[in-house]
Amino acid sequence: MKRALLAGLLVLLLGSARAEPLVSPLSNDDIPRILAFGPWPPPPVRDPSNRVSGQPAAVAWGAALFADTRLARGQTLACASCHQPRRGFSDGRPVAQGLERGMRNTGSLMNVGQQRWFGWDGANDNLWAQSLRPLLDPGEMGGSLASVAAAVREHADLRDGYGRVFGVAPGSDDERVAVDVAKALAAYQETLVSARTPFDEFRDALQRGDRTGIAAYPLPAQRGLALFIGRGRCYVCHGGPSFSNGEFHDIGVPFFVAKGKVDAGRFAGIAALKASRYNLLGNFNDDATRASAISTRHVVQEHRHFGEFKVPSLRSLAATDPYMHNGSQRTLREVLRHYSELDENRLHADGESILVPLRLTPGETDDLLAFLDSLNPAR
Amino acid sequence: MKRWRVGAAAALAIAAAPVWACGDGLGPGAQRIESAQWLLVVRATPAPIPVGKHFVLDIELCPRAGATLPAELRVDAQMPEHKHGMNYKPSLTSPRPGLYRAEGLMFHMPGRWELQFELRNPKAAPQRLVQSLQIG
Repeated sequence: MKRALLAGLLVLLLGSARAEPLVSPLSNDDIPRILAFGPWPPPPVRDPSNRVSGQPAAVAWGAALFADTRLARGQTLACASCHQPRRGFSDGRPVAQGLERGMRNTGSLMNVGQQRWFGWDGANDNLWAQSLRPLLDPGEMGGSLASVAAAVREHADLRDGYGRVFGVAPGSDDERVAVDVAKALAAYQETLVSARTPFDEFRDALQRGDRTGIAAYPLPAQRGLALFIGRGRCYVCHGGPSFSNGEFHDIGVPFFVAKGKVDAGRFAGIAALKASRYNLLGNFNDDATRASAISTRHVVQEHRHFGEFKVPSLRSLAATDPYMHNGSQRTLREVLRHYSELDENRLHADGESILVPLRLTPGETDDLLAFLDSLNPAR
Repeated sequence: MKRWRVGAAAALAIAAAPVWACGDGLGPGAQRIESAQWLLVVRATPAPIPVGKHFVLDIELCPRAGATLPAELRVDAQMPEHKHGMNYKPSLTSPRPGLYRAEGLMFHMPGRWELQFELRNPKAAPQRLVQSLQIG
């Protein structure tokens, strides 16, 4: 009954605050799907695998470490060198540039605390392991467990920061100290939550039955939303409050990175996850129950995962170009053209079979762009 | 033994629940899947099953007249229109013959899913019970 009433609000009264009546392209059936994209923001994250998650001292020290170059080999790079706040915590490059050139786009860290898998391939199942990875990667920050731990012990401010967060001085176990550094970094990143957007205002107005709030959402964005949850079927993967199902798909973006070299994506990510000392089944998980490891315990590697990459969130995209796992699409218009002209021959024979070329008209492309733009915080 | 395969042969001396009482202990909201030989009652937690979250299935399998419990029960799920299944392999435990708990399942996309229960015995073709669900 309530949904029918809301639908009535959408169809009949959308234009009541405007000079001319307007008819929403959205229908009664769309309302549950629209409401499923919220509410936003989600409740604050508390990661049971990280004993300092949510603690103000850890958040503050993690923020300082995030911008600190002393954790990297050569002391020229910090986490913030690639995850730049003004760029939505990405870097604007097609692929990452650490100490060496990488092969994947630097993912935004906005809303990273909401994720189940981390990295384009999901090779980590927790944010602190994902934070440790670039510190130790020879091509990124180039450190080691020993060098990270030594930096914390040797610099008085870092030593004091460690003591404030963990209640003890950094010990002699390099691995333990380095993992703790990563846990403080994770505690900070969990606080990176994107602001509410025009879409969120519309979605909540719809839930409240607020005619004025509904009418304030531009019609092009509504038409784009109707496509997103209708013919485009984008919501099937880009669902939920983060506009991502958090899983992995092959959408026909090439995974050849150089002559004779491929990026196996999720296929290799699962193998790396299972082999990691820092996964949630390992000794560094602070959740004694290991309930947080349920996904890791049950995930399986199958051939179809080859060339799959994580479905990115669609929130706050404006600052995080270029797009796709390899940064191959400079603009969102190019991304939509990719889906419009999808090369089905590039897709796995045993992959997702609902992916078909959308054959978008110019007007539909503009509408989808208007909808995606409404997922950015109001400017 | 693989964690998702539960052998029941060793415990067949304990009788399974009679068909008329099958699933009584699973609580409200349980669904029944019937065939000529079997009644399978299954209850999901949480219910309704959310998209993108792990859920648990409590299952009671009761043989009809002339049938016996299978040596092994397997649980899986598929999206027929999408031609793929879950990204997770459920694990099964069995507190007593005919009663099972499947953990680690996840429907990572909205749409129509088929829950598949495969009943296996040595030297016999597997039998499959299927429940169709609309998710999200």
